[in-house]
Amino acid sequence: MKGEARRACFQSTTLPHLDRLVALASRWSDREEAEDDVQETYVRAWTAFDQLRDTGAAFPWLCKILRMVANERRRTVARRRDLLFITELEAAHEEIVASDAPSPLEHLLARLEAGSLREALRSIPEDLAEAVELHDMHGLKYREIAEVTSVPMGTVMSRISRGRQLLAGLLTARDEEKPERRLSMQGRKE
Amino acid sequence: MAGNRDIPVTEAALQHTRLQELVAPFADGELPREEKRAVEEHLRICGRCRCELALQRDLSRALAREPAPGASAGLRRRIEAIGNRTAEVSGRTFPWNRRWAAVAMAALASMAVVGTALRVRRGGASRPMTEIPVLRDALADCRRAMTRNFPRKADLAAVAEGLQFPIRTLHGPGVELFSTWKTTLAGSPAAGLAYRWRGMVVVQYAVPNELLRQQPEVGQALSRHGFYSSSELGQGVVAVLKDDSGTLLIANAPPEELRRLIL
Repeated sequence: MKGEARRACFQSTTLPHLDRLVALASRWSDREEAEDDVQETYVRAWTAFDQLRDTGAAFPWLCKILRMVANERRRTVARRRDLLFITELEAAHEEIVASDAPSPLEHLLARLEAGSLREALRSIPEDLAEAVELHDMHGLKYREIAEVTSVPMGTVMSRISRGRQLLAGLLTARDEEKPERRLSMQGRKE
Repeated sequence: MAGNRDIPVTEAALQHTRLQELVAPFADGELPREEKRAVEEHLRICGRCRCELALQRDLSRALAREPAPGASAGLRRRIEAIGNRTAEVSGRTFPWNRRWAAVAMAALASMAVVGTALRVRRGGASRPMTEIPVLRDALADCRRAMTRNFPRKADLAAVAEGLQFPIRTLHGPGVELFSTWKTTLAGSPAAGLAYRWRGMVVVQYAVPNELLRQQPEVGQALSRHGFYSSSELGQGVVAVLKDDSGTLLIANAPPEELRRLIL
């Protein structure tokens, strides 16, 4: 495939994923840098486009390139500045599941503002957050995430499971810290 | 329904330990039939795992509803321009030149406010730096890097990767490299390096030497004098060829001073 035909095929295959790639890149950096990374991703994708065998798998392929671009800039370390104590989050998660409640997060999730879950993902370990985001926010299958992140399927399962557990622990811990919630709890006791 | 605390400890613990890791893939529909059936059976007797299942499902759904930032119109335009024939230079395609062309245009616009101040001051027949592609792009890139306070890392190996020419770094008393980045100048891959030197920032661009030779005015100056230099508004620019790579230096310093750094 040459010239305009190649370009047309490249555009129709990759452009539908542009917004999602920007969203994914925003995890590692600010808006402007995220767009730089995505542009670099498309440049590399264009160069290597002939290597893409299955155009239906373009998004995981682009994710893999984006990940390489972001890793080269070594931003992931800086991103984890908000990392919280894992043991605290694990303890909070243990408390939730020990309750045996049928929908333990229902009320808490209903109160969350849009965007706060995405923000909360920044406070759990990078590899866990990445697997959760690729699955839940970008719709990748476990097999595709294993391909993108170059880890076995079992690791993907464990990362998604543990990532959501820590996220639940984090949301609960933060919710309990809210003064309005403390006041309402006191009110109930009285 | 009984929770796992109601069944014999060893059996429940073993079953629970084996199957709890499978609750997330079960929630996501990622388990093969056999394992799926095993988890379903376990869920009937384990309240803890039922709770975990609800947690995993609820969070997954909530995350799927999160709003996501999209691409800006500018980025979309630049991506759409990839592969455009007008972005091809000397038979090779450098589609990312679009981005730098856009930056250079922005710099040009701001320069227009200053008028035609950016003039090469070497002899009488010199042309504005903004008409020399590599200098125009270098100045725009330099301005952009400065505006963003430079990339935080100095990783020479990373920026050298994929370049077809070596990077000759600056050495000397008080010269300290603190930032590196990849860029494109006049359609050609280049490396940007920023140094601290005598209380100021010196930006170096490593480029293919043929790129400098091909530039109007610059090529002539290089063959006649062994270097090219110009300055305006206190900003000095020097270009030299060293071995098999070209170097551009930009700083708020007289070009004569910059030449000492590289020659």
